Amino acid sequence: MTVTQEKLLEVSNLKQYFKTGRHSVVKAIDGISFDIYKGETFGLVGESGCGKSTTGRTIIRLYDATDGNVKFKGEDVHGKKNSQDLKKFNQKMQMIFQDPYASLNPRMTVMDIIAEGLDVHGLSKSPQARKQRVEELLERVGLNKEHANRYPHEFSGGQRQRIGIARALAVDPEFIIADEPISALDVSIQAQVVNLLKELQKDHGLTYLFIAHDLSMVKYISDRIGVMYFGKLVELTDSDELYKNPLHPYTKSLLSAIPLPDPDYERNRQRVEYDPSQHDTSEEPEFREITPGHWVSCTTKEFEAYKQELNKN
Amino acid sequence: MDKILEVNDLHISFDTYGGEVKAVRGVTFDLKKGETLAIVGESGSGKSVTTRALARLIPSPPGRIKQGEILFDGKDLAKLKEKEMQQIRGKDISTIFQDPMTSLNPTMKIGNQIMEGLIKHQKMSRAQAKSRAIELLELVGLPNPTERINQYPHQFSGGQRQRVVIAIALACNPKILIADEPTTALDVTIQAQILELMKDIQKKTESSIIFITHDLGVVANVADRVAVMYAGKIVEIGTVDEIFYNPKHPYTWGLLGSMPTLDNTEDSLIAIPGSPPDMLKPPKGDAFAPRNEYALEIDKEMEPPMFKVSDTHYAATWLLHEYAPDIEPPEAVKRRMKGFAKTGAGNSKEGERP
Repeated sequence: MTVTQEKLLEVSNLKQYFKTGRHSVVKAIDGISFDIYKGETFGLVGESGCGKSTTGRTIIRLYDATDGNVKFKGEDVHGKKNSQDLKKFNQKMQMIFQDPYASLNPRMTVMDIIAEGLDVHGLSKSPQARKQRVEELLERVGLNKEHANRYPHEFSGGQRQRIGIARALAVDPEFIIADEPISALDVSIQAQVVNLLKELQKDHGLTYLFIAHDLSMVKYISDRIGVMYFGKLVELTDSDELYKNPLHPYTKSLLSAIPLPDPDYERNRQRVEYDPSQHDTSEEPEFREITPGHWVSCTTKEFEAYKQELNKN
Repeated sequence: MDKILEVNDLHISFDTYGGEVKAVRGVTFDLKKGETLAIVGESGSGKSVTTRALARLIPSPPGRIKQGEILFDGKDLAKLKEKEMQQIRGKDISTIFQDPMTSLNPTMKIGNQIMEGLIKHQKMSRAQAKSRAIELLELVGLPNPTERINQYPHQFSGGQRQRVVIAIALACNPKILIADEPTTALDVTIQAQILELMKDIQKKTESSIIFITHDLGVVANVADRVAVMYAGKIVEIGTVDEIFYNPKHPYTWGLLGSMPTLDNTEDSLIAIPGSPPDMLKPPKGDAFAPRNEYALEIDKEMEPPMFKVSDTHYAATWLLHEYAPDIEPPEAVKRRMKGFAKTGAGNSKEGERP
């Protein structure tokens, strides 16, 4: 499946504030905008607390957005909806959660967990069809159909994450939000799950929003990457471009902090520290396009500086 | 360099309802003064159990050290009584645990938690211990230590808590510091700070560090030597360069192959198929054979001994036997062996920055 220029998801000026006391408000997401094209994998990275998970959860309506809007295939996701529209929407957008231990109901069999979506949306005509579909899904994600009658505790972390993926796939979604789907898994198992996600994308034409803090894995799986810092997007571009020409100082510091499995490189790696006070404060930074497709949050002065920096390279 | 610790043929088992779980099945290694030894492996490979045994932190029952010796300072730690061990634990050998959120006591001020060991082991007065605690917090880079020692763990962020845990571990100038995944719960930027801090302190105090992790990037950053564990055994051990640039064991190849490189996204990651064996019934022969595409017939029958590659580099795989067929590591791993960073087009620019 190739990436098209058709926008599947449009997020504009999304805000999510949480009230933490009578007078205090946490601005978890503070006005971010981006589009996700059909068939691509959009990576969202940042440190814990930067609002990347909140973004995913707000997009899929687990939270009500404070402001801004999200459009899925041109239709507004948030706001009042009748139950039929909501169902239609829920079927098209699914989520894979971070913790495979907490996201599966321990009292349901794998069969019921995976089939829950089928039941809700009335997608299986008969009990036989339901069983067949679940078995098909289990095999699709690399498990056995005999596993259907077991309970989640009988599986390892990697296997549970596969069950979570099968559950998301059950209703034939177009768009999947994967919220740190591999960070709870062992390295060798991480590779298995990432390969599975890539394969499924190819076969089913899926679009992913991939949220993670492991930059090397995000780079591997994503077509484009957005970097978040304190509720704002600071940089957004192709994943290759982001690694070759990071512009925002925060992105640079984040990239310079990743240890790579190469002792020689590690001996010489210099970490760049991010100092928010180094920014030009003469005006509010805006999200600007430096070169086609490469967006950075900056002021006019910084904009010129970034342009020059890119030209030099 | 002098050896500070020697572990010989260590076996540790846990007695469970299901039977005997052989978590560690004959581990031998030594630790030199001032070096950092990294132990890598998947969960369940026995890396944490091995190092917990060094500080005798295996709960017994159900755990027990079946055989083997842990030689430290002329004593066999495996046979010490709990009373004698208390003289060593926290003083000569101390541990930094993985999760800074749970390894501090939430009901105690952090100052008191740091002072505990000082008063007990160094026989300091409370006032002395307090000023030493402030020094330690400064050493680990916490701002305003005089005020901070009167605060509780919940008033600190994850990175700060990990610094406090490190301060506690360092309090009595331990000869051996065991760091059990100290940065796994932290963000990359905080991780980088903590790793720099540990290296810095090691330079100052000349302590030896055993560093447990499954992140090979972190290993390349901190380690002098690396031991790769699988199913309760060390399958390969060598200097950090030997393990990364000349790995011999197929499991090490698998680990390296499952890390993404920064340059190409075309070929998929080499995932190690299957999952680690059930240690209730360790398989016959080489425990890795069922997941190993290069497994030979003999792997199913007999466990491979440690073959010597160089004076510092040993690997337990039949592929190193003189009669074994010549097998090259997979292409993708060979590319990685040449160095991730050199093939990675990005990232080089950051290094050049002042």
